[in-house]
Amino acid sequence: MKTLISRTLIILSLLAIASFYSFSQESTKISPYVQLQYFKDNSDNSSLKTTLTYSKNRMEIPLKGMKIIFYSGNEKKNKIAEAVTDEKGVAVCDLKEKSDFSSDATGQWSFSTEFEGNDTIESGSAELSIRDVILKMDLAEADSVKTITLNAEKMENGREVPASGEMLTVYVPRMFSLLPVGDVTLDDSGNGSLEFPADLPGDKEGNITIIARFEEHPEFGNVEKTATLKWGVPSSYTVPKGHRALWTKVAPLWMIYTLSILLTGVWGHYLFAVISLIRIRRNAKKDESSDLRNI
Amino acid sequence: MMTEKKLLEDLTPEIESTGLKWYLTFAAFFIVFCVGIYALVLQIDKGHIVTGMRDNVVWGLYIVNFIFFMGLSYAGALISGVLHLFHTGWRKPVIRMAELITVISLVIGPFFIFFCIGRLDRLPFLVMYPRIQSPITWDVIAISTDLVGCFMFLYLSFIEDFAILRDYRELNVPPWKHKVYKVLSLGYTGNEKQKKILKNAKNVMAAMIIAIAIIVYSVLAWIFGVTLQPGWHSTIFGPYFVIAAVFSGTGLLIILMWIFRKIYHLEEYITKRHFVNVGVLLTIIAAFYGYFTFSDYLTKWYGSIKMDSLLIDRLFSDYYSLFIFANYVGILIPCIIIAFPKFRTIPNITIAAIIAVTALWVNRYIIVIPTLETPFLPIQDIRPDWIKYSPTWVEWSLTFAGISVYGMLFMLVSKIAPIISISEMKEKDQIEILK
Repeated sequence: MKTLISRTLIILSLLAIASFYSFSQESTKISPYVQLQYFKDNSDNSSLKTTLTYSKNRMEIPLKGMKIIFYSGNEKKNKIAEAVTDEKGVAVCDLKEKSDFSSDATGQWSFSTEFEGNDTIESGSAELSIRDVILKMDLAEADSVKTITLNAEKMENGREVPASGEMLTVYVPRMFSLLPVGDVTLDDSGNGSLEFPADLPGDKEGNITIIARFEEHPEFGNVEKTATLKWGVPSSYTVPKGHRALWTKVAPLWMIYTLSILLTGVWGHYLFAVISLIRIRRNAKKDESSDLRNI
Repeated sequence: MMTEKKLLEDLTPEIESTGLKWYLTFAAFFIVFCVGIYALVLQIDKGHIVTGMRDNVVWGLYIVNFIFFMGLSYAGALISGVLHLFHTGWRKPVIRMAELITVISLVIGPFFIFFCIGRLDRLPFLVMYPRIQSPITWDVIAISTDLVGCFMFLYLSFIEDFAILRDYRELNVPPWKHKVYKVLSLGYTGNEKQKKILKNAKNVMAAMIIAIAIIVYSVLAWIFGVTLQPGWHSTIFGPYFVIAAVFSGTGLLIILMWIFRKIYHLEEYITKRHFVNVGVLLTIIAAFYGYFTFSDYLTKWYGSIKMDSLLIDRLFSDYYSLFIFANYVGILIPCIIIAFPKFRTIPNITIAAIIAVTALWVNRYIIVIPTLETPFLPIQDIRPDWIKYSPTWVEWSLTFAGISVYGMLFMLVSKIAPIISISEMKEKDQIEILK
């Protein structure tokens, strides 16, 4: 009876251990997050960008070195490219040379991206529908008033129609990020304008870069136009040589003087204490030697 | 009147023999310390995710403990320096404890900074590429300077005792301890010339550590004061921190007096008079501390700057009980207990001190945490635990490990030299004879 119970217990324990390992391997497989975006730059070059990440401890961690496949078409998918994710988990597919992808009846392109997965990461995919938009930016100055005029026309049923009611944002790049200058809503003819502020600092010659952008638009994706011209206030950022401030490499003189005086004063007193200790020791040695002489 | 022989007979047994209670207490402290080490290993392995610190609250319990321990240190320096310079008659039995508070707190405090730093490998950069415009650099310079000064002052005050112990023939200690006394006493015999040299050095160092204590704790306060954070950007933070430090240090001195009096049966040396005198000092400092606290919060509240108002609202909502305990109970109760002669018993004064020290720690907490939980930029769709700080067991373990190391170091020092300075007590003896 005892043997039977002990054997049963051993078998149950082995089963428990085996099931624990098999389940734990299941649960350790990573579920990736796949994001597909469309970009069209100033030179009308289009590209698709896939970002492959996963979540760990509430942090988004990129998956590097993973093979991503890009497809065009909705029902019948055509493979258009393969790419490997970089350190940021990003794989890019340039659409410049691959303009033969088909559009649906309304003129929308369908794209999709796939990650096949591996032993440790689950597979994943994402889809995107894009309507091509032709964005134009015109910059004009009259009576010291600088005006940005934007025009956008979208492709619908094979012809260009004004992208009325859509909103673009105008930015100016600054040191750390893009400064939003204003939003432009397009009218029925697909036009919109914005008065550019006259007091924005540019470089020393007044050059400033202006960016007009559809950003994460559900229909157009990310489409932008940029231009650089002398619309900024000429500004010089050079710090005079030898200038001392909180933010320069060399500290202000008053600070160096104060610290030096304080430290010299304090460590000078420490030195006095150390010398006192040496004097005590010397005096003790002198006493010891005179005691020995007396003996 | 106490002779040197009686002093030695009364104060050296603690050095000569170690009882079971001592070992048990030390073992208890050591276990707490080991739990802290485990927590530290876990933190190094997993990173700061095991703490409650996140994107906004980047300073947590570790910085609170750092400020608290540094405060105790500067308070010890100020008290011992002032008592020494002014030749206060009743100082003699307590001055050694104040000196030890200074050095032991100063050794423990900076470790909490190391716990708080995420990239410890970058720590040498502070020395390799210092920018003296940075208050952090001031702090590194100030703390290291203070550490050297306090060690020197402590050593100077120990020399006479080491010489007495070296010459005490009946002292039953292992040979290595005799050697230690011989080496550390520097051959001091107490002749007139040596006495004069030592007295001058002690006076200079006493004055110096008072000055350094004020400067160093002000520097620590300026780390907060020079930032534009609500609740920190205050011109009175320097003196406010110094007063708060002396408040906590005086409280800790009373607690240690009670502990050592009980453990080593020093009732004859540490009397009610000492408790009352240090207690009165605690009351006076409590009044100053209360004044600074009221002044700081009143100006912030009346100014009604948006962020200050938000912070004060938070203090009176999320941190209501802690705020009341730190700034009302912690100040008023010690004052009431000590102000009325009827309440001035040794246990009552000790309770008042415990309340004061605990309240001061809580005060440090409500200075550091609520400010970081009140960021300038509004954050949308953020998880509450990213902005709301609550310490984890790892942080508590390291906090208690710090306290246990404090206890262990005090216990170890009491095995090397008497917790009451024999030379100071002997000096009193001579003055009384002269009288």
